[in-house]
Amino acid sequence: MINDEYFLAALRLAAGNDPMPGHVSAAARDAYGLRVPQAVTAAPAESATPHGVRGIDGCQLVRFVAAGLTFDLEVTVGDGLIDVAGQIVPHPGEGTHVDVRTPHLTLTRRLARTGQFAATGLPPGWLSVVCHRPGHPPVQTRWVRIRP
Amino acid sequence: MQEPRDPAELLKAAADDDQTAWDELESRFGPRMWAVARVCGLTEADAADAVQGAWLRLLEHLHDIREPSGVGAWLATTTRREALLILRKELPRAPFFDVALDSDPAAAVLEADSSRILWRTVSTLHEPCRTLLQLVATDLGYQQVALRLGVPLGSVGPTRTRCLEKLRTLISLQETVQ
Repeated sequence: MINDEYFLAALRLAAGNDPMPGHVSAAARDAYGLRVPQAVTAAPAESATPHGVRGIDGCQLVRFVAAGLTFDLEVTVGDGLIDVAGQIVPHPGEGTHVDVRTPHLTLTRRLARTGQFAATGLPPGWLSVVCHRPGHPPVQTRWVRIRP
Repeated sequence: MQEPRDPAELLKAAADDDQTAWDELESRFGPRMWAVARVCGLTEADAADAVQGAWLRLLEHLHDIREPSGVGAWLATTTRREALLILRKELPRAPFFDVALDSDPAAAVLEADSSRILWRTVSTLHEPCRTLLQLVATDLGYQQVALRLGVPLGSVGPTRTRCLEKLRTLISLQETVQ
C-alpha cells in the first residue's frame, strides 16, 4: 500500500540506522555530469518484437522513438558485462555519431551506412544512447537498467 | 549563515548548470529516497540502482517538473516506482513505465518536519504499536518482530497495518490542530 510505504520510509529515516551509503550519494552527484544540454528524450516504444523481453539467449530488445528517429537496441549481458548492438532508422545523416553511455563509461561510435552500431564490455547498470547529428539537437534514449 | 534555498529554486539552478544546487538537492532528498527504496524490500545493491535511476529521471526532466516546489515528493515517488520495477523485473513486459508527472500525495510525509513529528507521535502510541513500529522501522523482519513482541507471526502484518492507521489518524489530527 502506497501510504504505508512512505510512512515506513519516514520512520526508518528518523530511526537512522540504515543510512544511505556514501557511494550512493557520490553516484547521484556524479550523475549531474551526464546531462546532455538541449537533448530530446526518446521514450520507450512498442516494437515488432515485444520490447524489454529477454530472448532465449539472454538478450533484451528495447526500442525508443523521438524526433523522427527509432532506436532499436539489442542488449546482451554476458560474463558480467553488457554488449549493445543497435540501429537507428532512418539513417540520421552524414557525420552522425552515437555515445553509448553508462554512468561511469561512455563509448563513442560512428554509424554504419545501415545505421547500425555496436559497443561491448560495458558495466551493468544504467544505460543510455545519445545520437549526435550535425545541425540538430542530440537525441537521447531514456535511461534503462540492464542487469544480469 | 546563508538561508537554505527552497527546492524550486534549487531545481531551477540545477537546470541552469549549477552543480552546487544539484548537490544540495542530493543531500536534502537522497536519504529519503534511500529509505523509500529500502522499505520496498530492495537489497542495498538494488536500492542503489533505484535511487540512481530516480536521479537519472530527474536529469531527463530537469526542465519540465510540473511542481518544482514538490521535487522532493517527486523524487520519492519516482524512487518507489523504480524500486517496484526492479522487484518486478522478472515479469515479462514490465520493463518500462511512464515517468510520473505528478507525485504521490502520500510522499509528503517524507518532508523533514513531518518525519520528526511522526517519530514523536510513535512514542506516544500505546503498546504493542509503539514497539512494533520502532522494530519495523529498524528493519527487523516479521519473524523477529513476532519474537520480540511475543505474538504469533501471522498477527504482525495485520497489527502493523492497524498501528500505521492509528499513527496516520494521530498525525492528521495534529495537522488539523496546527
